[in-house]
Amino acid sequence: MPLTDRGREILKRLPATHARSSGSIGCEIVRHEDLCIGCGTCPRNCPTGASRRGATFDVHQLLDAPAGSRRGELGAALRRLMRSQPSGPVEVPPRVTVYRTILYDGERCIGCGSCARNCPVEAIEARPPEVPATAPEGEGAEVTS
Amino acid sequence: MTTVTETEAGATVDHETVSAAVASEAPATAAAGERSIVAFCCRECAYAAADASANARTPLPPTVRLVLLPCTGRVSPLHLLSALAEGADGVMVAGCLEGQCHYREGNFNAIDRVKFVQRLLASVGVEPERCRMFTMSAGEPPKFVAAVREMDRVVGALPPLARRAAGEPALAATGGEH
Repeated sequence: MPLTDRGREILKRLPATHARSSGSIGCEIVRHEDLCIGCGTCPRNCPTGASRRGATFDVHQLLDAPAGSRRGELGAALRRLMRSQPSGPVEVPPRVTVYRTILYDGERCIGCGSCARNCPVEAIEARPPEVPATAPEGEGAEVTS
Repeated sequence: MTTVTETEAGATVDHETVSAAVASEAPATAAAGERSIVAFCCRECAYAAADASANARTPLPPTVRLVLLPCTGRVSPLHLLSALAEGADGVMVAGCLEGQCHYREGNFNAIDRVKFVQRLLASVGVEPERCRMFTMSAGEPPKFVAAVREMDRVVGALPPLARRAAGEPALAATGGEH
């Protein structure tokens, strides 16, 4: 029985199946922390738990955020009051969920790119595995054979 | 005005009384370059307490402006910080007693957000006492007045809050938040 549209949509949301079928494992994940809104979509979709919400928040993320965003507004207000540069990351109380720095662990990441696909603000880039890097090897193999 | 039902029935009428009382004294203090405090009040408890205290003709410090919220859970770090950035010298959030929120956990959220804003302020070198959370029930007007006076005293003792760009003093803070 063929999949319905709805079924395909649901299948797309399952991180594990998608990662296995997409063949895109090995992407290089590049995070743009200034664009991140801390929504927590990437930890939710991560099949290996490589990205997760941290317990602290880097105040520079507010100050660097783009002007139109909510974090940008908060950063603009903070910049007006600021007497000194932020002294470091602040501890976040448990019920504040959005203002948290997402921790990304490159060791556990398999480069499936599900975080980049699901990011609502395109703060994560998944650069495909370097195809040209393998091509010269192929050529070299041809030459030797 | 001690029961909740009575205060709720009288809330719309008394709202004008309170804001008129605050507004009539505001221009004099603003002109004198005095401090101003923005109080975000929960409709169910703190605002009812403010109503009751106004009915009892207990004078509030003229520096305070009340902002009515359905629940303190509505307050976001952006409200608190932009009130400070736009001219308030202190921000207070007044909500229900812990565990007595009408929306079950709104005041717990507010407590944590206030704590977060305090840490943000502290990290950029601003006194965290400028933002505070108070809890009280609807039947405790004296506690509300005491909280406002406490806030007024603490903020009054602090040095004036410097802001980068010139902003509207005091009025913009309350006007923007309504």
